[in-house]
Amino acid sequence: MRIVIGQGSCGIAAGAEKVRKALLNTDINPENISITGCIGMCYLEPIVDIYNEDKLVRLVKVSEKDAPAIAEYVKTGDASKIEKLVVSDEDSEFLSKQTRIALRNCGIINPEIIDEYIEKDGYTALKKAVCSMTPEEVIEVIKTSGLAGRGGAGFPTWFKWNAARQSKGEEKYLICNADEGDPGAFMDRAVIESDPHNLIEGMLIGAYAIGAKHAVVYVRAEYPLAIKRLKNALEQARQKGIVGNNIFGTDFSCDFMIKAGAGAFVCGEETALIESLEGHRGMPRLKPPFPAQSGFWRKPSNINNVETFANVAWIINNGGEAFAAMGTEGSKGTKVFAVTGKVKRSGLVEIPMGKTLRDVIFDIGGGMKTDKAFKAVQMGGPSGGCIPADLIDTVIDYKALGATGAIMGSGGMVVMDESTCMVGMAKFFLDFTAKESCGKCIHCRIGTKRMLEMLDRITKGEGKEGDVELLEELCYSIKDGALCGLGQTAPNPVLTTIKYFRDEYVAHISEHKCPAGECSDLIEYKIIEDKCKGCTLCARNCPVQAISGTVKNPHSIDTDKCIKCGKCYTVCKFGAVVKE
Amino acid sequence: MINLTINGKAITAPEGSTILEAARANGIDIPTLCYDKAVEIYGACGLCVVEAEGIPKLLRSCSAKCTEGMVINTESKRVVQSRKIAMELLMSAHEGDCVAPCQLNCPARTDCQGYVGMIANGEYDSALKIIKSNIPLPAAIGRVCPHPCEKACRRKNVEEPINIAQLKAFAADMDLNKDSYVPECKESTGKKVAVIGGGPAGLSAAYYLTIMGHEVTVYDMMEKMGGMLRYGIPQYRLPKEILDKEIAIIEKTGVKLVNNVKLGKDFTIESLKAENDAVIVAVGAWKSSSMRTPGEELQGVYGGIDFLRAVIQGNAPEIGEKVAVCGGGNTAMDACRTAVRLGAKEVYVVYRRTRNEMPAEKIEIDEAEEEGVIYKFLTNPISFNGEDGKVKSITLQVMELGEPDASGRRKPVPVEGKTEEIAVDSVILAIGQKLVQGDVSELTLNNRGNIEADPDFFTTNIEGVFAIGDATNKGASIAVEAIGEADRCARAVDAYLNGQALDTRVPYISKRDESTIDYSDRTKQSRLTPKVLAPEVRNKSFAEVSLGFTEEEAKAEANRCLECGCREYYKCKLLNVAQRYDINPERWAGEMPQKYTRDENAFIERNTSKCILCGLCVRSCREVMDIHAFGLMGRGFTTEPSPAFALPLDQTKCNNCGLCVQLCPTGALTEKFNLPKQVPLNEEYTEEFVDIDGKKASVLVSRYNGKVLRVVPNDEVSRSSGLSREELFNLL
Repeated sequence: MRIVIGQGSCGIAAGAEKVRKALLNTDINPENISITGCIGMCYLEPIVDIYNEDKLVRLVKVSEKDAPAIAEYVKTGDASKIEKLVVSDEDSEFLSKQTRIALRNCGIINPEIIDEYIEKDGYTALKKAVCSMTPEEVIEVIKTSGLAGRGGAGFPTWFKWNAARQSKGEEKYLICNADEGDPGAFMDRAVIESDPHNLIEGMLIGAYAIGAKHAVVYVRAEYPLAIKRLKNALEQARQKGIVGNNIFGTDFSCDFMIKAGAGAFVCGEETALIESLEGHRGMPRLKPPFPAQSGFWRKPSNINNVETFANVAWIINNGGEAFAAMGTEGSKGTKVFAVTGKVKRSGLVEIPMGKTLRDVIFDIGGGMKTDKAFKAVQMGGPSGGCIPADLIDTVIDYKALGATGAIMGSGGMVVMDESTCMVGMAKFFLDFTAKESCGKCIHCRIGTKRMLEMLDRITKGEGKEGDVELLEELCYSIKDGALCGLGQTAPNPVLTTIKYFRDEYVAHISEHKCPAGECSDLIEYKIIEDKCKGCTLCARNCPVQAISGTVKNPHSIDTDKCIKCGKCYTVCKFGAVVKE
Repeated sequence: MINLTINGKAITAPEGSTILEAARANGIDIPTLCYDKAVEIYGACGLCVVEAEGIPKLLRSCSAKCTEGMVINTESKRVVQSRKIAMELLMSAHEGDCVAPCQLNCPARTDCQGYVGMIANGEYDSALKIIKSNIPLPAAIGRVCPHPCEKACRRKNVEEPINIAQLKAFAADMDLNKDSYVPECKESTGKKVAVIGGGPAGLSAAYYLTIMGHEVTVYDMMEKMGGMLRYGIPQYRLPKEILDKEIAIIEKTGVKLVNNVKLGKDFTIESLKAENDAVIVAVGAWKSSSMRTPGEELQGVYGGIDFLRAVIQGNAPEIGEKVAVCGGGNTAMDACRTAVRLGAKEVYVVYRRTRNEMPAEKIEIDEAEEEGVIYKFLTNPISFNGEDGKVKSITLQVMELGEPDASGRRKPVPVEGKTEEIAVDSVILAIGQKLVQGDVSELTLNNRGNIEADPDFFTTNIEGVFAIGDATNKGASIAVEAIGEADRCARAVDAYLNGQALDTRVPYISKRDESTIDYSDRTKQSRLTPKVLAPEVRNKSFAEVSLGFTEEEAKAEANRCLECGCREYYKCKLLNVAQRYDINPERWAGEMPQKYTRDENAFIERNTSKCILCGLCVRSCREVMDIHAFGLMGRGFTTEPSPAFALPLDQTKCNNCGLCVQLCPTGALTEKFNLPKQVPLNEEYTEEFVDIDGKKASVLVSRYNGKVLRVVPNDEVSRSSGLSREELFNLL
């Protein structure tokens, strides 16, 4: 029996390392205990997979206290004590309903051992490409596959590769953008932590295709585990002659450099990333010239994100047609989504393009985790937009999502129920972009700040008639005038919430009410006398002694003292505390 | 060569040129704030955007290259909207006063900071020239003006405002006492303008139009020019000899002055129009207003301005020993103080409110009292009582102050049944003055009975006829307001004579929020006022009351100026672009990115709250000089250029080459010049060459009024010489 513990950052954060240590303290043969990367079901971490021949027993929400029971099962086959840990059939569907290409090895192989990757046909695509295909043929296969950039903009990958290939110059650079900065997106981290060789292989194929001898991974310094595993993987690949000079004995040579970024969101923008790589402040350059003509050190450079590269080896091995067979007319292959928020099952979901949002949120994600109704989903992080409940059947396709005002983006999906204030949501994302603006162009630097100030006033009940129109005017101007993608997309959360939830804005402004009951300045907590049993729980939990009342008699809240922390609302077991 | 179309104009551009280069080479101006040939293209300001047919996105013309057949629009609706919002946003985060509040509050927009500063610097000629560019009668106005400038002066927040008006009189007197400044006139345009009325409005309009090269004649009904300045203001406040000298200077510019001719009798507006290319009506308001109180027709009841005029003309009426002056304004003060000087024993001022509500200048109220005037506050005449047709007494209704009225002053209301009677020999009604309507029967009047003139274009119902001053719109006001209108009207008429219509409205400027300004670092220093004649001396004489500032006093007083206005006002590219678009930054009012600070070393003053983050200082220091004294700090809204490691500039590698200051498009970086008070001046720059260690070096020499103010490095040799500004200055 082989015991594999999910040790992505998510698993470790949930306690997976403690579980592993506890298991090592049992009488299980340490050689049979291994690790893997992110299995994808973040909400069930830590996860322990027990492989017995072909049979897999998956244990979820495991704690170190469960180690003896697991050891007993390994020793005797007695499953009685671990039964409660076995993943439910329903939860199993979270993975079984997915189609995994980019994530195909995630949660399966040990990311720290190259042989496990090689066992899964690793590096065969690279060998095929460099030994039997011309760079042009590689680009042709990618063209056939219809692969588009998974980082956000969705630009055809072959086109960028071809432009860099055609660009004159001996020195060329292939750069991987692993500066995953969208709040709520973590698929790139999962790929590097769980399957680093897949990224390296994809990059090497790309480098071969464009004619680059240098590959650079620009990865966030906040991803230490990813950096560690990537470094380890590169070292192992070098030892095997896969990275370095004369790869597979051919003329093709390529070495890698890893650059840890200091955590600026704007460095996900390709020209700002290049500035940062060169040691400058991360600020976007004007385009044109595009990086394919003048990029890193002013040499032709090609930049793709992690997920894009993670598809490349599979495409070379299976053919462009196989990839293109999945998806829609304009969007091919699969896409990974990081599903979070008020959804029952959160984690990484990879599905073919052409499925609907309903498939992701309800079929795979299991719907809402509260009894509140689904309200909207924010797609594409701060650069994206929200899609309301009545558009739940929107197809996952670059164009179809774009038509709603949202974007495919990098695949962040924040699910919201009716307790979410849409003005507050827009404010949250705008606060992020305003803080992350590099400060270079006027529209982004000052425009996002002014928008944020207006949203702040609105959520405090200080909005004025005409503010919504003013916001819209500013939004469109920023989209038109901002220098880079960060600024040009920053208004999207505001524009889409105005488009679909204008009434909520109006309610804040005209009636000084927050329909979702989330804006603390616009709500008051009250106790309904008839429902209050006088249990005193709320009074005991109130941090400012704003609640008075005697045992078994209805309590009341002194609204002058109340700081609207919501504690009473949360603790009341009788639904007697209400927000108005 | 590439063929393309910009704004419908077919042009060619060399291969590889940007749209901006192509446009500028063809005289099409596209605004930019972050672009300069000296450094790499940056693309931050986004003002250079243009629309290209077939391209969905707006293009930044500083970087987008021309392509064959391109069709460009540099002023489309979308482009203008984008620039407008960019400028509004920029100005909403730009904290600074383009010009000082004193200047803004002056109806003639006189550059008070400029002339006060030049007086402080001892540059009296420059001060006078600055004043004369807005006020042709500064010795007179300095003496009589109720100085709205001083009401806005921020020094009042430290202790008291600067004595701006008296400083103006000082500079003007200095000029009158020597070979006076007569401006050069432009080449003759051959156009003729007639001005009706030789008061402050008419004379000023004539002066400015003459300087512009037009042939101007002023027609006036009185025997001498000056209007109300001469016939409405007593000698002890404005000696007529001073006025004569100032009018003589106006005459020297070439203005023709014709007296003793009256509109309606000797000529008509139409007859003047027939002989001239334009006519300006500036006839003033020469009729005393009535109080509509019974007994006004009695002998011994005089109108305020009628009384003053008669005294000035040497025909002082019999006023007896007891005189009552009705009213609380400056004319009432002039009347009561004149009555004192004529020998009246008891002079009353009857005013229905209290001292605090009096519209007259405080100093006038106080000086009148010193001279023996008796105030009867909270009283209102209800009848003038006479015997044999001559006034003998006034019945006064006693008043009290009620609720504030529309003017914000508490409204006087009668105390029921309470009256008082005072015996008088004469009464002077100084409650206002009106246009004599019969004189201007050819023009349309408004519902107040004044000439209806456009407030910005000064046009009337007759084409080519303009009207200004007391006779128009809201009626009689202060002289400086008439002069301000005259100045603007002169420009409007000049434009009209060139076949254009000029809107003289003041364009957008940036202002600081007064409530945020901290004065705690200022040392208190009392306001100086000129010495005056002792009350017991002056109440018997019409000699000028004020003795005027001595040079020492004037310099000391001028040195109190806080220098609110921006030094870069005349060079500011930011303001220039802001004024091109109809912007309203108030829409986006919010937090300011930086605290308002001034930080300076020997040459450079930095004020990051004015910074617009064009990056030119950082980039030029890095790319041109390879010095890296500046870098960008912080992120987002609070990003700022800062010396390396946030050190004072002196502790960086900065060699004071001044390139950053030269490229700064606004007042965030300024360079000092060799005068103690750093005054915003419309300097003239010329390129000159000096020898530095045997090498020819280019420098820019700034001069104002002929005086060299600064020498600025202008090429690689001068910038890298390491010479200080003094050393460079001495090389010249």
